[in-house]
Amino acid sequence: MTGPDRPAGHGANPADGRIVVDNLTKIFGDQRAVDSLSFTVEPGSVTGFLGPNGAGKTTTLRMLLGLVRPTSGSATINGMKYEALPRPLQTVGAALEAASFHPAHTGRQHLRIYCAAAGLPARRADEVLELVGLGQVSRKKTKGYSRGMRQRLGLAGTLLGDPKVLILDEPANGLDPEGIRWLRGFFRHLAGEGRTVLVSSHQLAEVQEVADRAVILNRGRLVRAGTLGELSAGTATTVVRGPALGPLQQALTDAGFGGTSEPDGALRIRTDQLAHVGHLAFTHNVELHELRLEEFDLERLFFSLTEGEHQGADLDPPGRGQRPGLPYQQQGGAR
Amino acid sequence: MINLIRSEVLKIRSTQVWFWMALLAAAFTALGTIGTVVEAVNAHDRGDVVDYYAVFTQSQGAGVALLVLGLLGLTTEFRHKTITPTLLATPNRWLLLAGKAASYAVFAIVYALICVLLNFAIAIIWLSAAGVPLDYGHGVPGGVLKAFLSLVLTGMFGLGLGALLRNQAAAMVFGIVYIFILDNVLNFVPWVRKGYAWTPGGGLKAFLSNGHIEGMPDDVHLLAPVAGGLLFLAWALALLAVGGRFSLSRDIS
Ligand SMILES: Nc1ncnc2c1ncn2[C@@H]1O[C@H](COP(=O)(O)OP(=O)(O)OP(=O)(O)O)[C@@H](O)[C@H]1O
Ligand SMILES: [Mg+2]
Repeated sequence: MTGPDRPAGHGANPADGRIVVDNLTKIFGDQRAVDSLSFTVEPGSVTGFLGPNGAGKTTTLRMLLGLVRPTSGSATINGMKYEALPRPLQTVGAALEAASFHPAHTGRQHLRIYCAAAGLPARRADEVLELVGLGQVSRKKTKGYSRGMRQRLGLAGTLLGDPKVLILDEPANGLDPEGIRWLRGFFRHLAGEGRTVLVSSHQLAEVQEVADRAVILNRGRLVRAGTLGELSAGTATTVVRGPALGPLQQALTDAGFGGTSEPDGALRIRTDQLAHVGHLAFTHNVELHELRLEEFDLERLFFSLTEGEHQGADLDPPGRGQRPGLPYQQQGGAR
Repeated sequence: MINLIRSEVLKIRSTQVWFWMALLAAAFTALGTIGTVVEAVNAHDRGDVVDYYAVFTQSQGAGVALLVLGLLGLTTEFRHKTITPTLLATPNRWLLLAGKAASYAVFAIVYALICVLLNFAIAIIWLSAAGVPLDYGHGVPGGVLKAFLSLVLTGMFGLGLGALLRNQAAAMVFGIVYIFILDNVLNFVPWVRKGYAWTPGGGLKAFLSNGHIEGMPDDVHLLAPVAGGLLFLAWALALLAVGGRFSLSRDIS
């Protein structure tokens, strides 16, 4: 398949850059951290890897990178296990959670060590440091780095070998707003070059902006995977506000629409047929102050799919009752 | 492999440990040289045979430095979690161990050069001043070569021990206790000492000797030098194999 001498990146082979996770399971003690997980990351796509804390994202990525041994199943990149890749850093760039550096090494020394290991010229370290905006501090010891600087140094490390595939575990952690904006542009840039990016993140709005696809995980199991278009299908929501919506609510139920009423009195109806709703309001003589189609929101979808499963007390459950297919129901006991 | 060695050498060069270890190696060499030279001068004054072999093989004192480098080789990576990027760059655990072991050969050359020079400088100046004739026979050239080889082997031994223990503090304490206490206990306590020849320390001692060792109890029969060297090598390889198989292939998380 991929010969050792083929330059990495910008490859023409369509299978180049595909990540396949097949029936992957990891059991820690008696806990199934990853449970029969299967999904594919298509070459040249930016795929968000999402799930609540403890869902098994990091464990999956570590198995993909040959750092954690799967209990069963397999994970391959370009059809090969990570250990079998002839030039790993030129093929895959990975930055895992809790990026780790020797505190007495400077950022530059850290990267040069891996340049040497991968047979890359030492100046590549300076190039990627400039790229991630660490040029100024490249000769400072990493023990003096802030969290965001560490995060950037980890990202710099992924770029050393100019790889076609990037695997990033929560790269936005610890970045300031400027850094997050920079990261967004960075993803766009990578995607524009046809690279495959698999990125785990809790920044759902960010993911929605840059990702083409998402893989959603909960308690080690796959919940949903697909393009954002596929994931958003059937989640269209029309929001209606007005002083007295009771008759409209009845009419909607009669007409077979499902949805919820919010504590503030607004109705959220699972449809994209604005005209139909507007017409029902008109014929039932209901005064409307707002009638709009709500945009797809990955965060809402995420919470509806993983609702009640995330650990910790639920202080402010956004998007409750968004589970598709439930009957029209009242929310929060309003009115 | 060359890339890997360059990377591992760079890793060591990027902190100051190698420099302090060079000082430590020099100190051990100087002390050993002074001790054997004083002994040689006394022997000469008494009209006894001078042990030139002992005088000119004190560069073996750099062994402590290599042991420490070896012990730190993997334990530092586990401590600072740099084992993750290291294994991403070199996913093959055995290749990584081989690369690290080879990088100690590079440092062994550097330390050996420093220590041989120091050893010879002190000995030549002192012996000449005391009117003891210089003589580089009695197996001295072979002894210098063996001292150098012992450094490479000691680095590998430390690496294997570190791979097995993973914990930096535990590995350092064990290493130091072994050389300065346990090794002496093993060759001293009756019954126990009968097995001393087969311990790593016994093998190394036999390897570094020129065949006859004084000051050992009668029931301790060390191996011949070459056999001792092979035994020490076997110990190092066994530690590396066990460490690589059981410790390095555990989950890294
Ligand atoms: N080395 C380990 N030993 C035992 N259990 C582990 C180990 N690593 C992870 N786990 C468990 O496996 C589960 C999945 O953890 P993982 O770190 O993969 O989750 P995650 O999706 O990355 O979470 P987060 O969003 O918090 O980073 C957790 O319940 C965790 O406690
Ligand atoms: Mg994680």
